[in-house]
Amino acid sequence: MITNNKGAAGPAVAFRDVVKVYHPDIKALDHVTFDIQPGETVALLGPNGAGKSTAIDTMLGLRAPTSGEVRILGGSPAAAVAAGQIGGMLQTGGLPEGAQVSELIGLFRQLYRDRRSTTELLTLAGIADLADRRVEKLSGGQTQRVRFALALAGNPELLFLDEPTAALDVEARRHFWRSVETTAGQGTTVLFATHYLEEADANATRIIVVNHGRIIADGTPAQIKAFTATRTLRFSTPVPDPSELLKLPGVTDVVVNGDAVTVRTSDADGTLPALYALGRQIKAMEVGGGGLEEALIALTSADNSPVMEGVA
Amino acid sequence: MAAFLRFEIMRSLRNVRFLVFIAGFPVLLYLIYAKQTGTSQGLTVAAILMVSMAVWSGMGSAMFATGPQLAKERQNGWMRQLRVSPISAPRWFTAKLAQGLLLIIPGFILLILLGFGYGHVHLAAGRVAMLAAVILLGVIPFCALGLVIGLMFDGQTAQVAQMLTLLVLAFLGGIFIPYSNLPHVMQEIANVLPSYHLVQLGWNAVAGRALGIRHMLALAAWTVALGLVAVWRWRQESTTA
Repeated sequence: MITNNKGAAGPAVAFRDVVKVYHPDIKALDHVTFDIQPGETVALLGPNGAGKSTAIDTMLGLRAPTSGEVRILGGSPAAAVAAGQIGGMLQTGGLPEGAQVSELIGLFRQLYRDRRSTTELLTLAGIADLADRRVEKLSGGQTQRVRFALALAGNPELLFLDEPTAALDVEARRHFWRSVETTAGQGTTVLFATHYLEEADANATRIIVVNHGRIIADGTPAQIKAFTATRTLRFSTPVPDPSELLKLPGVTDVVVNGDAVTVRTSDADGTLPALYALGRQIKAMEVGGGGLEEALIALTSADNSPVMEGVA
Repeated sequence: MAAFLRFEIMRSLRNVRFLVFIAGFPVLLYLIYAKQTGTSQGLTVAAILMVSMAVWSGMGSAMFATGPQLAKERQNGWMRQLRVSPISAPRWFTAKLAQGLLLIIPGFILLILLGFGYGHVHLAAGRVAMLAAVILLGVIPFCALGLVIGLMFDGQTAQVAQMLTLLVLAFLGGIFIPYSNLPHVMQEIANVLPSYHLVQLGWNAVAGRALGIRHMLALAAWTVALGLVAVWRWRQESTTA
């Protein structure tokens, strides 16, 4: 089968039952299946070590899956790379010493057969002032932006960004996501990995949450955020009354087992005061997260995070 | 591929360490030692040294195109970035080989000019052309050697490995010390080294002697052996890394 052109039918990415094992006991990807449709902007969200980079590396053809199938634009990752249909910004990536930024961009434009003008690339990446700069004189954030320009050089059908904003300051981040949006608006399908829920929420049309090599949630940002608000309250109270508990604000589910009660709520802050206001004797209260907590507990807000230099 | 080759050559020529190595160092040695009088097997010291230094410069530049630079770029992720761009591995290899060979030219021309101007070497144009051909083809195994070093070692280690390899090849191969002055054991070692065979070919070319099929076969064997190791390491890395 020949690779699809922009807008052609079929998923941009088909990830089928993919397993990647590095060590016999470490499954970086554990039977992962998902499709990405052309035109989507998808966030792969999860803590460090969740399997995001491994997933992206297999889509770029940098790693072969242990089992399962990865199809990119209807063909193999290698075919899509060779055809220049993919742009990739990897998590770590130095630039070759001795080169000027403008030379690097010139090289990539030629490798991708002049699909985007130099001016457009410099503007999108926000590096017009760095064109004459030597690579070894760039800061971590500047290097990151140059690498973004290289990933865009081929006006790719599919753009992969692995933790692309790690070294960027707030202003550079804003510019970066605006450019991603512009690119997506021109028809590029985007997949980015992040461990910031807010970044995924603000910039993706769909979020896939991964942890321990598995997909634990897949939905729109609104759906994912609703999931994350879910809390589980566990306590004991004499002769619990499920119908009474179900009327409390935010409660979606009540399980009673003798004196032991498990309540699921989408609004723990509203539920708890109302529960205590019932005047019941409540003992051994435990507040736990919803199904996503384990994955998301390690996720931090993009705006609170320190600006990191270099490798994240 | 032409774009990639041009890019690689441009940034090599900006690398001071490289320029010192391919031009500065051999030129300096030549200026110091070429004025010694004497002949050996029909060649003046100035002519012998011109060939030695051209070989030394050629070996160095061939290995530089790959060697420590490749090791560093594997480590810092640049090679991964190239692997997700449309340049294919064979074209990358070819460009690297061409880079190694083309970058020999400045050092070679400089040493020929010095040999003629400073060392008073008299050589027919045909013999200079023969020397150029010998060195150009003869450094191919050194390009492969650079690849092997660049693929086997990481950053700093590759730098050290490359310097040691070059020095050992130069001393034991009879480039810095005449082969006949080496102890017998070392001569035995020299007999298998590519540097020995290349410099012998060079002297034969300049003296107008038969080049010696034995030397050519030895260099061809080194190319094949090192090439296989490089391809094996490359494959290993692209499947597991």
